[in-house]
Amino acid sequence: MCLGIPMRIVERDGFNARCEAKGVSRTVSLFLMQHEPLEVGDFVMVHTGYAIEKMTEAEAASAWEIYDEMLAIELAEDAAMRAAADAAASPGHA
Amino acid sequence: MTDPAAWLERIRALPLAGRVRVMNVCGGHERSISRAGLRALLPPQVELIPGPGCPVCVCPEEDIYDAIALAQRDEVTLVAFGDMLRVPCNAPKAQPRSLEQARAAGGDVRPIASPAEAVRIARDNPARQVVFFMAGFETTTAPLAGMIAEGLPDNLSILLSARLTWPAVAMLLASGEVGFDALVAPGHVATVMGPEEWDFVPAAHNIPAAVAGFGADSLLASLYSVLRQHVEDRAFLDNCYPVLVRPGGNPTARRLMDECFEVVDANWRGIGVLPASGFALRPHLAAHDARLRFDLAADPHRKRAGEMPPGCDCARVVLGRIYPDQCRLFGAACTPSSPVGPCMVSDEGACRIWWSTGKRECRPEDAPPAPVTGDA
Ligand code: SF4
Repeated sequence: MCLGIPMRIVERDGFNARCEAKGVSRTVSLFLMQHEPLEVGDFVMVHTGYAIEKMTEAEAASAWEIYDEMLAIELAEDAAMRAAADAAASPGHA
Repeated sequence: MTDPAAWLERIRALPLAGRVRVMNVCGGHERSISRAGLRALLPPQVELIPGPGCPVCVCPEEDIYDAIALAQRDEVTLVAFGDMLRVPCNAPKAQPRSLEQARAAGGDVRPIASPAEAVRIARDNPARQVVFFMAGFETTTAPLAGMIAEGLPDNLSILLSARLTWPAVAMLLASGEVGFDALVAPGHVATVMGPEEWDFVPAAHNIPAAVAGFGADSLLASLYSVLRQHVEDRAFLDNCYPVLVRPGGNPTARRLMDECFEVVDANWRGIGVLPASGFALRPHLAAHDARLRFDLAADPHRKRAGEMPPGCDCARVVLGRIYPDQCRLFGAACTPSSPVGPCMVSDEGACRIWWSTGKRECRPEDAPPAPVTGDA
């Protein structure tokens, strides 16, 4: 939850923006960014679907480098974990 | 921007006399530290302690019990961040102990990734009572304020378990059993609330502090800063994440949060009530307070209400009093695929993070203090 994701604004309609990161596109609310003029092409740090701060492209790129690695490992792990849990037909805990 | 290797070199060149314990208070930080294997790269005197950085882990057991009770009502659709679904409460036998089990038993429970989804689900299902069970720190409470300010459908209510980050640190510092010598403060909390919230750490307690981002460079910069402050005995609050953290924080987010919430004394699971540490909906939002909309009377006879699951040492893990692998259940009885406590459920829980970065076995509590992880 606390891991924000840097995204680029590709389309804007009022406080709603279409944002993109690594080819994934999401609807992001710009409602918390009323103090900051934002345009298509700008980068924002997104938390649970809401932009919380503006950032530069260079900052976004360096943040992504780190996340890329972390997320890739975690996704693979999650999948492995789920598979293991299914296979074990989890007996559950008291 | 200086690269991680250069920061490491600077850190290694510092004349550290003895052990220095640096606490972080953000699951994201702990994740970056564990993933990057930073512990193994630092001088042996430096200990990195995961502290109170997981809102899911401290969400009161009673709130989870209430959420499960709501999820079992015919008219209710319960939505929550995915992390919350597997967190166990101490329900009596034969009753669901988690939202996931409530869903398996027929409850309408849906994981969401954004508060905006709660609004959409409520609008799409006008005949249902949609309850958003929201546990989070400031970084998720700000989006919630945005959601509320944009307008709530009548059929949407909120079961709020939101907490502030700094009061847990304040409690540790006042406890007489501080347990750390320096603090790395959470970057995105400071982005929203402003770095000034953390001024009290150096100012009132003479403990070095630095706000950090989530990359190795920013984290190492913050470690260098606090270690150097420690060596020079000159504590101040450093901002090592200036790209996002600005004085005063995010003014829109703070204004909306202030309009929606008041800061109240709040219960932390396994820890107790901390003064001025929780957000509560302001009176003008009472109609959307799930606690008022539904009759959520606590059962005074319920066993272990409010407690951690039997044998789970999460509260001490959250407070940084023990490392995750010092819990006797770690890695054996408790794993991410069959978690005993909340710290093994949440992505931000220290137990889960340690397990998933390769630490799989527990060690006795009196084992040597400096754990070397990051061998994953
Ligand atoms: S290992 Fe499991 S039981 Fe032990 S403290 Fe962590 S979550 Fe609780």
